[in-house]
Formats: sequence, C-alpha cells, structure tokens
Amino acid sequence: MLRAMVKRALKRDDDTVLITKTLLRLNQKESSKSRSNLVDDEALEWLKPRTLLKPDEQEDVPEAELDEEVGRFLTTINPQWVADEVAYHYGQGKFVKKPKPSFGKAYPLYIYQGTAIRKDSEEAKAQIAAGYGMVGFDDAGPKKVKVKKSAAEEEEEEEPEPEAPPPEEAKHEEEVLEEEKPVETVEEQEAHPVEEEHEEAAEAEEVIEEAAPEEHVEGHEEEVIAIKPRVKKLANQFNFCERAALTYNLPRRSVETQTVPPPRATYGATVLQCIIFDFYQEDYARKQREKEEEKPKRLRKKARKHAKSAQQIHDEQLAQRIREAWTILERLVNQNIYDDIAQDYRYWDDPSDEFREGMGSLLPLWKFQFEPMRSHAVCDVQWNPHYQDLFAVAYGSLDFTQQQKQGCLCLYSIKNPAYPEYAVITESPVICLDVFKETPYLICVGLYDGNVCVYNAQLTLESSYQYKSDSVRDKHSNIVWEIRWGARLIDGEASFFSISGDGRVVQWAVMPGELQATTIITLRTDLPPLPGPDGTLLTVNSCGSCICFHPEKADIFMVGTEDGMIYTCSLKYNRNYVRSVQGHHMPVYRIHYNYFNNSIYASCSGDWRVKIWEDGRDEPLFMFELGSPVGDVKWAPYSSTVFAACTADGKVYVFDLNVNKYRPICVQAVVSKKTKKLTRIDFNPILPIVVCGDTKGTCHVVKLSPNLRVMCKPPKKAQGIEQRTLQIMKLDKLLSLVRDPPFQTGVVDEKFEDD
Amino acid sequence: MGEEAAAAGAAVEKVVHTYPLIRHTDMSEEMRVEAIELSVTACEKFSQNNELAARMVKESMDKKFGPAFHVVVGESYGFEITYECTTICYMYFGGNQAICIWKCS
Repeated sequence: MLRAMVKRALKRDDDTVLITKTLLRLNQKESSKSRSNLVDDEALEWLKPRTLLKPDEQEDVPEAELDEEVGRFLTTINPQWVADEVAYHYGQGKFVKKPKPSFGKAYPLYIYQGTAIRKDSEEAKAQIAAGYGMVGFDDAGPKKVKVKKSAAEEEEEEEPEPEAPPPEEAKHEEEVLEEEKPVETVEEQEAHPVEEEHEEAAEAEEVIEEAAPEEHVEGHEEEVIAIKPRVKKLANQFNFCERAALTYNLPRRSVETQTVPPPRATYGATVLQCIIFDFYQEDYARKQREKEEEKPKRLRKKARKHAKSAQQIHDEQLAQRIREAWTILERLVNQNIYDDIAQDYRYWDDPSDEFREGMGSLLPLWKFQFEPMRSHAVCDVQWNPHYQDLFAVAYGSLDFTQQQKQGCLCLYSIKNPAYPEYAVITESPVICLDVFKETPYLICVGLYDGNVCVYNAQLTLESSYQYKSDSVRDKHSNIVWEIRWGARLIDGEASFFSISGDGRVVQWAVMPGELQATTIITLRTDLPPLPGPDGTLLTVNSCGSCICFHPEKADIFMVGTEDGMIYTCSLKYNRNYVRSVQGHHMPVYRIHYNYFNNSIYASCSGDWRVKIWEDGRDEPLFMFELGSPVGDVKWAPYSSTVFAACTADGKVYVFDLNVNKYRPICVQAVVSKKTKKLTRIDFNPILPIVVCGDTKGTCHVVKLSPNLRVMCKPPKKAQGIEQRTLQIMKLDKLLSLVRDPPFQTGVVDEKFEDD
Repeated sequence: MGEEAAAAGAAVEKVVHTYPLIRHTDMSEEMRVEAIELSVTACEKFSQNNELAARMVKESMDKKFGPAFHVVVGESYGFEITYECTTICYMYFGGNQAICIWKCS
C-alpha cells in the first residue's frame, strides 16, 4: 500500500515538478551518481529494455543542438505588457487606455516562474534524465530507506555523495542519458496500474499541490519530500540556497610580538662596617698617591726650568761678557794697527790745498773687506743716519754673466775696519739697500731675484730677515735696482718703495709678520706693442733703474729708466707721468736731490754724463762728461754746490759749482782702473769722509781735503746768518747765473780735460 | 694600658672619611651625579632614619628617571639583586652607611 502511495506521489510530482536548467558539468556528475545507484540495483536489470521511446510529436533535433547551451537574459522589459491595452471604465462608460503599470502597484494575477520550463520539453527531459526534479528509479531497492529520512539528514548527505563517485563516472554523457531513459519509462509503466487504485486519494493530493506548484520553497518541498524520494536542489543564480548567500568569513587569527626585554644583570655585595672602612682607606690612599705623583712633576718641571734658565742666563752673561771683552780687545788691536790712519783721519789735512786755489784732494783712509765677499761687488753703500761711524754695504754682483749665488748685507764701523759689525748672508745677491731713518737698525734690501727683505740688525743672525716678500705672490720679476723707505702710511705702518727692472714701482707696507705689496706705477714706454710669437701683442715696459723721492713733497718721486728717461711721477697717479724728460742715452744710475734746494737734482748715467737739473726744465743746467760710465752721484750734505761722482774707471770726481762750473775740483783714482770699478759713493752726513765701493767687494773711505769742503763765509753785513741760509743763497746766486741768460748747451757741454 | 695608648695613637692618625664614595656603578654620568646628590641630601636630612632616607631617594629617583627604583640604606646588610643595566649605584656615605640604588620593574 505504501509502495503504491509513493508511486502515486512520484507520478504527481512528475507532472508538476519544475526542472531547471543546470550546467552540463553538474548534470554529468549527478547522472553518474544515479547510474551508480542503478548498478547497485541488480535485481531490476533484467527489466530495463534498451530501446529509446520518443513521443510522436517530438521534433527531431540534432545531437549538436541538443548539447548546445542556450543562455537566458534577464531584462527590465516586461514581455507580457501590451502597450495599447484598454479597459472598460464603468464610471465613464467607455474604454480607456490602461496606465502603464508601475512596480509596486502591480497585482499579479498569475505568477509564472521565470525558471520554469515545460516538462515535456527537451531540456526538461534531459534534466529529469539527469535526476533533477524527480527520482529516476522506482521505490524498490536501497533508495526506499533514504526516502524516510528527514530533510535535515538529506542536506547532510548531499555533500558526501559527489565525493565518492562510482567507477563508471568516466562514462560519456550520451551513454548516461541512454541508460537513464529506459528507467524512466519503466517507472511510468509500473506506476500506471497503481494509479487507478488510488485515484480518489490522488485527487485530494492534487488539489493541495496545485495551490502552489511553482513555488520552489523549501517548506513546500519538504512536504512533498516527506513522501517521495528527495529532490535534488539545483544550485544556480536563480535558485540559490540560503547557505550560499552567506558571506565568507575571514578566519580570525591573533599575532603577537615580543620585544627583547631590557638587559638585566645581577649584583651582590655585603655591607659591613669593616668593608666600608677598608674601601674608604683604599680610596684615600689612592688619592694621596695621585697627589704625590702629581706634585713632584710640577716641582720637577719648575726646578728644571729654573735650572735651565739659570744656566742659560749664566751662559748668556758669560758669552756677552766674553764678547764685550773680545770687542774691546779687537778694538785695541785695531787701534794699534790702524793708529796712523786714525791719526790721519783726525788731524791730517792736505797742506798743499793752501797753495792750489780751487783744487782739492782725497786722502785714502780705511779699506773695508769681508773675506767671503771678495768676489762680490759693492752694489750699494749707505751711511747710517744715526751712528756716524756706521755704514751699510750691500754685496751683490754686477757681472751678470757670472752671477754670484749669494749676497751679503754688512754693517761696518770705521772703528773696526777688520770685520763687519753685522753681516748676514742672503740667498740672492743684494743690489740695493736703505736704512730706515726712524729706527736705524731696520734695513730694507732689494735682491737680484726680485725679492725685497727687511733686516733687523738687532736680531740675531739666525733669524735672518724679519720680513720678506712672498716669492710667489708679489715679488718683482726682475732685479730690484733701488729701494727707498717712504713716509708712514695712514695706519702708521712703515712702508718702502722699490723699483725693479720689470718696470714696476711697488710700495711695501710693513704689516705685522708680512709685507703687503701695492704696485704704484707701471712704467710704460712709447714703443708700440711688439708682436708676440702667437700673434699676441706684448707691451713693453721700460725698466726702472733708480728712484728718488722729493725731499718735501712725499708723493712726488722721480724714476730713472734703463733707456735714459727720467720720469717724474706721483703716488696719486698710477698711469701717467707728471713729467718725462729724455735725460740720458744710457741707463740712469742715480738721481739725487740737492740737500739745500728742493728743485735741483743731479743724475748720472752709463752714458758717461752727470747732469744737474732743475724741476720743470727739460734741459739740464749743467752737464759733465766724465769719460766713463758714472756709477753714482751724490750731493754733499755740507755744501749746496758740492757733489761727488764715481766712475767705472775707478775715479772719484768732486765738483764745486761755486768754484768751477765746468770742471771738477778734484779727480782722484781710488782703485786701479784695470781690475776694479767704482760702483757707489756716499757722503758721511757729518764727518768729512766719503765711502765708495768697488766691484771687488772693497769699500774705500777717503777723506775730503779742506778745499773740497769750504764753507761759506757770511758777508760782513750780516754776520749772524746761518750756514744753511748762506748755502741756499750761494746756490741761488749760481743758479741765477745759469738761468739768465737762457740756457746755452754749448757752455755746459764744454769738454774738460781729464787728468 | 699599652693597648689603649696604641689605640689612642691610631685614633689620632685615623682620618674620618665622610665623602660619598662610589663602590660600584654603571649609571650614566648624569644619573650618577643625581643619585649621589640625592643620597647625600637624604642621608643628611634623615641621619637617624634610614627608612625615610631610602624612601626619599627612591621617590626622587622615580620622579626623575621613571618608576621602579629600589633603594637600600643601611650600615650592615647583604644583597644579591637583579637590576636593569645602567641603573645600579652602590656607594658608601658618611663613613658607615652603604646605599644601594637600582632599578628593576
């Protein structure tokens, strides 16, 4: 009876079940599963006929089309809606157009499930064959047991089933379909006889089922399922089960980290009074020891210093005393040796002067020589302005083909002709020097290599120079020919000027620790620029050879050049000359201002001539030709009209313009003409002596005879007039004679006889 | 009598040291100076009450360098402690007191 009931239910279900389209893959799986069930049911095997039964009206569809997957699309357009639908309006009594139904206000009269397909369609059959929507085999066999299971159990079973597929699973889909369809037919055939028996009961069931046949709700299904074998749910986007709607929950996990704990250590000790005491004692002892160690160090140091300094003082004192003693002894010896010279210097005046009016002579006195400097030439010589017995000598070399490596700066005293008081060897020959008048121990020197130095005679010889120009940055690029101390700068620093063969006049400021160079003027020439080797034009500077500052106007100076020009320059202009005169035809060796008249100066040159100039005149007042290159000319400090010159042939000429305007009043050969030349000469500012240097490193001191140093006798009318005024008057008188009548070259150019 | 005289002689020579003396420390310079100063102040303030002195040092150190300092002040004790590195200072003060400061939390 039960069996018949189930059959009946199945039959009913068969009519109304909705078959949903599923994926082919799923189909395959399910079919193989149902087939496995069939295989298990061996008892029914003989019943299954292997023929396919088709309905008569079924369309013939090729296999390929059957397998084709047809997609369905969901649209928002309602296919049931008719655009021009009308309805009869009873109120108005006429047909009116129905308004377009809007969502929410629609009243569904009939609901047709979108997923439903007709059960007699091909697709439905395929699905049924696959086991969806109905049971593909009869109630006999093991399936019967499953039918009685509860819905909850069914769900559980769903999952494990596909996991254990039967071995036939690999079979093709076509085969599966073929196998299943006969089963279906068999079932239907079997069901028919039972159907009639229970027709009334089935009628009742039909009424219930028809009420909601299409609604695929779980609850309804359960009702049905309770009496029929379970119907597999189709899981797709239209018929989803609620479980699938659950979102995926991320698994929770906890992550922990641990930092390294701060490092720890253990320490232990015991506190006892004795331990504390001992430790204090120890520490105290250590402190005491440290103190003791430190103390003697300091003491020892002090003691050592003291002892040393005492020794030094002693040594120094001893050395000083010995030196003094030796100096005295040396002086004594020298006094004995040079006694006659000293006597001559002091008392001997040439008695012949009385008899030859207007002529004088020079008495040779001492000769100064420094043994290491025998082969050097005396390049400059200058009396010290403070000590009348002291003069400075610059040892250099004027033989430029055999230039000496070294030079020497010496200070001689006439009290000791044997050895210089101060001598310092320089790296390069010394060409010129000048003694600073304010501090007579400062001597600036110009060197052959273009450097300038300042020597401090008070310092020990080890310290050598006190200042030296920077050989790289600012030294001259040629021989420094003359160097002269200038006025102090605004800041109070001493400064000196140097003139060099490179055509520059440079002012050197004596800063603490260094010399600061400023180029005053670059001596330009009128020559056009010479073409260089690679097309450049080289401007030629005239080579400066001497410089002379105006005694009163500190910014005016005169520069003599090697091409014979005499330029008057000013510190205020660094480009233009105040005046320029073609003074000589050969290098100008010296320009020297008269001590009494600031507008009168003398110049001497390698063209054998000495010229006396007046500022502002282009022609010299006097011109003397001495028959040999004139190395030096100096005005006498005691007379306004006396000057002396020394020549390369070893002679010293002394002129007194007041006595003889044309000839020297004294010409005397000091050195041998053949071996030596006289280079420089200088009047002692106070004593009636002249020092002149030669090219063999010897300085000759000669005494001027009385006729060479005649003083002016004041006129009887004005007895109280100073000598200086008289001298100036004497020179002015002489100058007026020369100036007026206008300058005649013939007069001064007259040759004098050489003796 | 002889012994007493000797003791007296020794007592004359004995110098009483009261300056703070570090026995062991690995504190930083700044912390050490602070600890010494605090200990000296506390021990001078509470010369009769080591407990209060220790409390004062501890609280001050907690305030300055963060909590969990431990301070022991006493004349006779033994200890074996675990401390966070660079926070121990074991020192003597006043010639008879030992102060141990350390931090461990």
